[in-house]
Amino acid sequence: MLRRSLRIGAPLLHSLEPVQRAPRLSPSNIDRAIQKFSSQNARCISTSAYRRKAEAGNSTTGSRGAVDPDELSHFNALASTWWDAQGPSRLLHLMNPMRINFAKHCLQMHPTSATADAGGGESPFSKGLRVLDVGCGGGIFSESIARLPETSHVVGLDPSEQILAVARAHAKKDPTLTGKLQYINSTIDDYPSDHQVDLLTLFEVVEHVPYPAAFLQSCMRHVRPGGWIVLSTIARTWSSWFTTKLVAEDLLRIVPRGTHDWHKYINENEMRAFFEKQPGWGAQGMLSMGCLYVPGFGWKAVKGSEHIGNYFFGVRRDMQ
Amino acid sequence: MWHENIDHANVINRTKTTMRQTLLRLPTRNSVWAFRASRPAQIASTRRSFASEASPSPEVYDVVVVGGGPVGLTLAASLGAARTTSHLKVALIEGMDLAPIRNWSPKPDYFANRIVSLIPSTVRLLKEIGAWKHIQQNRVQSYDGMQVWDGMTGARVEFDWNKLWGGKDEQTDTTIAHMVENIHLSHGLLKAIGDLAVQPTMIDKTKVERIQYGEMTGQLDMRDWPVVTLSTGQQLAARLLIGADGGNSPVRTFAGIESRGWDYDRHSMVATFKIEDDSAFPKFAYQRFLPSGPVAILPLPGNFANLAWSTTPEKVTHLKSLAPEDFVAMVNAAFRLSYTDIDYLHNLKSGVVEETKWRESVTQHPDPPQIPVRITEVLDGTRASFPLKMRHADKYIAERIALVGDAAHTIHPMAGQGLNSGIGDVYSLVKSLAEGIRHGQDVGSSFTLEPFQSERYLPNNALLGFVDKLHTLYGFESGPLVPLRSLGVEIINRDWFGLKRFLMSQAAKS
Repeated sequence: MLRRSLRIGAPLLHSLEPVQRAPRLSPSNIDRAIQKFSSQNARCISTSAYRRKAEAGNSTTGSRGAVDPDELSHFNALASTWWDAQGPSRLLHLMNPMRINFAKHCLQMHPTSATADAGGGESPFSKGLRVLDVGCGGGIFSESIARLPETSHVVGLDPSEQILAVARAHAKKDPTLTGKLQYINSTIDDYPSDHQVDLLTLFEVVEHVPYPAAFLQSCMRHVRPGGWIVLSTIARTWSSWFTTKLVAEDLLRIVPRGTHDWHKYINENEMRAFFEKQPGWGAQGMLSMGCLYVPGFGWKAVKGSEHIGNYFFGVRRDMQ
Repeated sequence: MWHENIDHANVINRTKTTMRQTLLRLPTRNSVWAFRASRPAQIASTRRSFASEASPSPEVYDVVVVGGGPVGLTLAASLGAARTTSHLKVALIEGMDLAPIRNWSPKPDYFANRIVSLIPSTVRLLKEIGAWKHIQQNRVQSYDGMQVWDGMTGARVEFDWNKLWGGKDEQTDTTIAHMVENIHLSHGLLKAIGDLAVQPTMIDKTKVERIQYGEMTGQLDMRDWPVVTLSTGQQLAARLLIGADGGNSPVRTFAGIESRGWDYDRHSMVATFKIEDDSAFPKFAYQRFLPSGPVAILPLPGNFANLAWSTTPEKVTHLKSLAPEDFVAMVNAAFRLSYTDIDYLHNLKSGVVEETKWRESVTQHPDPPQIPVRITEVLDGTRASFPLKMRHADKYIAERIALVGDAAHTIHPMAGQGLNSGIGDVYSLVKSLAEGIRHGQDVGSSFTLEPFQSERYLPNNALLGFVDKLHTLYGFESGPLVPLRSLGVEIINRDWFGLKRFLMSQAAKS
């Protein structure tokens, strides 16, 4: 099922618009974004520790504002219900097995070098898979990938301290996660990259980021040669507006209102075009898989739906 | 004087206030307040130390199964046998002594009175988990056919795959069910558990004293982990607590899950018999629906058979009080005489043998194999009974809780589906747990457990409802429903609309 619905090595798509927000990365824009970011943070998060952090961010953060303050406050409001099985994050929880399947599938396609070194072990993961989960939120994916026996270490990264508090509190409920899973309150720009990882994941993140191109480039630095970026997001189509905005948020209310900004969605071909232009990326593996949520049946992988709505995307950093 | 007094009082008040103010800054040890404040702290600390003495921090298990009946044992064996779940740390708690079951050695001329009918899908699971090879096949009786008829009208339905297909098909398993003694099944399951590479912790002769939620300790938050305290004082913390603990499930009570249904005001009477030589006939199961409840004879190997007679508690008491030969005559009559006759015989305290002899001689009744061959003798000490009820839990799962078998649903035994649906639960639950583990989910999380519930709830509900309606439908002695039900039975028996095939395939699947 999974294999059938994967588009592996699709032909290069020409005449693609470049990822749209890249041109907006002029210095003045960045400054404005960062200013907006820190001032709104000061308002919506009362802990002084975080304010210090935000202020520090203002002066020292590198060139990229990877966090949208409106998004931050939206997700802060969701923090307390993140792990509620019947709560607003239910759809994310239901999607999680598919995330694991897709990530496993990517790693299986091209085993990371560590596996190859180990003499072609049967496990799709290397002996110790290192994972960086960017925008981990309450830790739905971070916890589950950390529980897999193949994983050695997981770092969950999120700009919201409030949500990370939820993630940390929830991880305490499972003794097997101790020492394996670590949450760090940081943006990807501020995160020091002393260790490159085998798998960097961005699940439902890029559609919430103001400057996705810069953001993705920041992420790419943290992946080692042969490692993967695996992400999921939503294509910008009339049907995704209809399903994610109108039906899911406004009519059925199965997703909290204001979760999505349709204009920030990135299409699969745009994502593909972006990575095709990145030197050292995607030559040894680039794939996508569309999926649909069918009420009453859950998430289903559907061939071709990567151009319609939710899709997974995996891209491998070339081995030298 | 007054003024002085008042002044004095004021002074005292003032000094009190100042004292109070200063006390706040004093080292607490020197003040009355400090003493008061220290008392709760002391109590708290003693309580804590007491708690840690009486119950050292509970041992952490992935799965704790409460109940060592056939369903609980199947669950423990399945968890150990399935590759994805075999690494889980499992404990099973049973109140009774499991040693007699483990050391069970059967006598060839004796069959226990508690037997179960295992449908093919159940046997398939038992084979997969390595339990079926420990079942002594010479003590198992399978049957291909079933005779079911209406005690009032005689309308009859015959379930027989071989006849339906116009001859025996060697390729296909035409078995409707396999009859096995309960103890034999449990014995086989215990042996299968003994074969496992990773042994579950088997705790028997031990009661569950209480279940409560764990505590927050340092780096661990076990406040949503059920902690089971045993009568030995031992404590087990469960990532997932499974209630396989029967109709009055303490696990279900702990989870606050409501179980709804009703008592039937019927008891089921069981016994094991010796029967006349039946080698000339195929081994069938026979069930006759009497208005007081169905009476069934189920085949056992050789010249043995088992009784399951559901009837009113008063009639069960009467059946138990009869002399063995009168009891035998009574059971033979139940398949041969009219309901009026049977009702009358229930009033006799003795002399049933003579009474039935002449009544049967003047009653028209079919011969074997349409009805069971005559029973000749009841085995000593095999007459027993238990009350019948219908219950269905509102849900089978909660965070870190799952219910299987009778803890989730209790069914009327007339269709022989109680244990089979319990084992169906186990199969589905283990499948869901494996799927959850493959995706890195916590085995106790409701997201892991949800597929189990959604797979099992509706089929179980339909089965419970179907059997319950049969009970009601056949409870009428007369009235418009009596000919209607016979018409329905006639339609089924002729396999119109493929109804018979459908029913038979459903019964085989469960």
